[in-house]
Amino acid sequence: MDYRAKVGLRFITRRRGSLIAASLAVAIAILVVQVNVVIFQGLYNAIVRDQINYRFGHVYITRQENFITKSDKMLVNWLERIPYVDAAAPRLDAVASINATGSGQTIRDYSVPVIGVDPVLDTKASTMYKTVGDGQYVSSRNSIVLGAIVARDLGNSHVGDSVKLKFKDRNGVDELRRFTVVGITETAGSVGLDNSVIMNIDTLREILGRPHETQSIMVKLNDPTKDQEVKDLFLRAFPTRSDNFKAQTIEESAETTLSGFRSGIALINLVGYFGMMSSAFAVVTIQMMQVTSKTREIGIMRAIGSRRKDILIIFIFQGMVIGAIGAGLGTIFGVSYTAYAKETHMTFQGSLALEVTYNWLGILQTDILAFLLAVVASIYPAYKATKLQPVEAMRFA
Amino acid sequence: MPDLVLEVRGVDKIYGEAETAIYALKNVSFSVKKGEFILIVGSSGSGKSTLLNMIGLLDRPTNGKVFIDGLDTSTLNDNQISSFRNSKLGFIFQFSNLLADLTVLENVVLPRRIQKTDTNAVEEAKLLLKTVGLESQMNKYSNKVSGGQAQRVAICRSLINKPTIVLADEPTGNLDSVSAETTVQLMKSLNRKLGHTFIVVTHDRQQFGDVDKVITIRDGKIIEDEITEIPTIT
Ligand SMILES: Nc1ncnc2c1ncn2[C@@H]1O[C@H](COP(=O)(O)OP(=O)(O)O)[C@@H](O)[C@H]1O
Ligand SMILES: [Mg+2]
Repeated sequence: MDYRAKVGLRFITRRRGSLIAASLAVAIAILVVQVNVVIFQGLYNAIVRDQINYRFGHVYITRQENFITKSDKMLVNWLERIPYVDAAAPRLDAVASINATGSGQTIRDYSVPVIGVDPVLDTKASTMYKTVGDGQYVSSRNSIVLGAIVARDLGNSHVGDSVKLKFKDRNGVDELRRFTVVGITETAGSVGLDNSVIMNIDTLREILGRPHETQSIMVKLNDPTKDQEVKDLFLRAFPTRSDNFKAQTIEESAETTLSGFRSGIALINLVGYFGMMSSAFAVVTIQMMQVTSKTREIGIMRAIGSRRKDILIIFIFQGMVIGAIGAGLGTIFGVSYTAYAKETHMTFQGSLALEVTYNWLGILQTDILAFLLAVVASIYPAYKATKLQPVEAMRFA
Repeated sequence: MPDLVLEVRGVDKIYGEAETAIYALKNVSFSVKKGEFILIVGSSGSGKSTLLNMIGLLDRPTNGKVFIDGLDTSTLNDNQISSFRNSKLGFIFQFSNLLADLTVLENVVLPRRIQKTDTNAVEEAKLLLKTVGLESQMNKYSNKVSGGQAQRVAICRSLINKPTIVLADEPTGNLDSVSAETTVQLMKSLNRKLGHTFIVVTHDRQQFGDVDKVITIRDGKIIEDEITEIPTIT
C-alpha cells in the first residue's frame, strides 16, 4: 500500500472517536435523504397506485369533450383481446344532491360526485370494490355505495338505509331517485372516494338520459410498462374523426394530481441535500481537529522528506475513508429503514399506506454524493495541513 | 574539497521585524568534513536549534548560504528540498520523533517509502533495529516503547537512507542518564562504524566525551572552535 494511504488510514482509524463521529455525520445525512425518499416518494407512489386502482387504470380512454357513444361492451371486448390487458371497465360520472330521511326529518341536502360503475367489469379492472368496509359493492339497479364521509354527513347512514338523490338530466330536468345503501367505502388518503357515491352505471345512464353512453374506460394492464403501446394500439384501431377518442397513460391522466406533488418532493429533496451540506461541515470540523492533533506528526513527516502534496493526499485519503465508511453505514441505515417501512406498510395518521420501493440507483447516487462531499470537505483541512512548516510543527512537544 | 559535506557561510537568521527583530543567528560560518562527529553547544536560547534547522533545510537563513555535498541549497525549490532532506539528511529530535500510529519497524522504513525505494527496506530496517538491540520491539506501536528505545528507533530511521549528515537536536535531553549514555555511545559507534557525519546539538558537552569538533554558540554567534583529534580507525 502507498505509504500516504497507510499513514492516512492509521491516523484516522486509530482515533476511533473522530472516525465514528465523521462517518456518522455522513451516514446520517444519507439516512435523512433516504427517509425523505421513503416517505415522500412512497406517498407519491401510493397516490399513483390509488389513481390507477380507483380512477384511471393504466390507460384511460375518454372522448374529447364528449361522451363515448360506441358500445362499451364492444370496446371492452376489443381491449381485452390485447395480451397486455388484464381487464377494462366503463365509468360514467355525474353530480347529484343527496339527502336522507331520518326519523321523519331531512338531513342535509348537498352535492356529491356520483360514479357509475359496471358491477361485473369494475371489480376486474379496479380495486374500488375492496374499499367497501361495511356491506357490499354495487349490484342491483337501485343499490348505492356511500363514501364514509357522505355516510357520516347524512347522520351516520348504514347499510339498508335509503337515500334520495336528485340529478339533472341532459336536458336540465330534475330527476329524483331513491336508493338503498348496500355498502360504505372507507379509504385512507386522498383519492376522494370517501366524498363520493357509487352506483350502477346503467341506472345512471337511464337517469341522465344517456343510454349506452360512457364517459371513460379504465384499462388495467398485466404489464404496466406497456401502457404507451396499448394506448397507441387503441388509437390506431379507432382513428375516425367521429369517435374522436383520447387515450392517456397514467402519467398523463394523473398529471394534475401529481405535478404539484412532484415539486413538493423536489423541495423536500433539497432539504435533504442541505442536511448533507451540514454533514460536510461536520466533516470539515472533525478533519480540522484531526490536522491539529497531528501537527507534530506532519512536522516529522515533512522533516524526513514528505512533500506538501503527500500531506495533502494523506488527509484527502482520510476523507475518502470517512466517506466510504459513512456511505456504507448510511446505506445500511437507509436500506434498513426502507425495509422497515415496506414490511410494516408504513402509514402516517391514517393516510394511505406508503408504496415503498428500493431505489438502488437513487441510493447509489446519494452514496456517491455523500462520499464526494466527505472528500471535498477534507480539502480545506488537508490544505491547511500542507501549510504547516516542519519547524513550526515540531515546536509542539 | 571533496570531503567537505557541509559548509555554512555567513548565515544570519532574524526572527520578527524592525524593533522586535531577534538575531537568532549572526554571521555563522563553519564547515564539516565527511565522517566527523560535531557537537553544537551553548546555553538555552543561544540559537543551537535555529542553526540545526538551517543545516537541516527545515528553515531558510535570512542571509548567507548552506552548502551540502557542495550544493548551494538556496537554489532548491520546496519539493527538491523535501527529497534532499529525505535522501541526504537524517533527523533525530529531542522529543518523541516517531509516528505513534506506526509500528517501530514502519517508522524506520518510512523514509524509504517516501523515497519510493522500498526494495529490501524492511530487511535493512530490521538489521538496523538489531544493531541497536530492538528487534524484539519492532512490531510494537512506537508510542508503546520507552523514551530511550524511541531515540534508538529514531537513530535507525535517520540512518535507513544512508544520509550524508545525521542531525540530532538534544537527542538525550529527555532521557534518564543511563538511556542518555546508551544513546550517545550508539551514535558515536555508528559514526565510527558506518562513517556517517553526525552534527549533534546538546547543552551537556561532558556527556559526549571525545568528539571531532565542538562549536560553541552564544547569542547566535560562534565563539570558539574546539577541535579534538581522535585516533583514526581504518
Ligand atoms: N520562530 C521563532 N520566532 C521568534 N523567535 C524565535 C523563533 N525560534 C527561535 N526564536 C528565538 O531565537 C533564539 C534562539 O532559539 P533556539 O535556536 O531555539 O535556541 P536553543 O535551541 O539554543 O535553545 C531564542 O531567543 C528564541 O526565542
Ligand atoms: Mg533548542
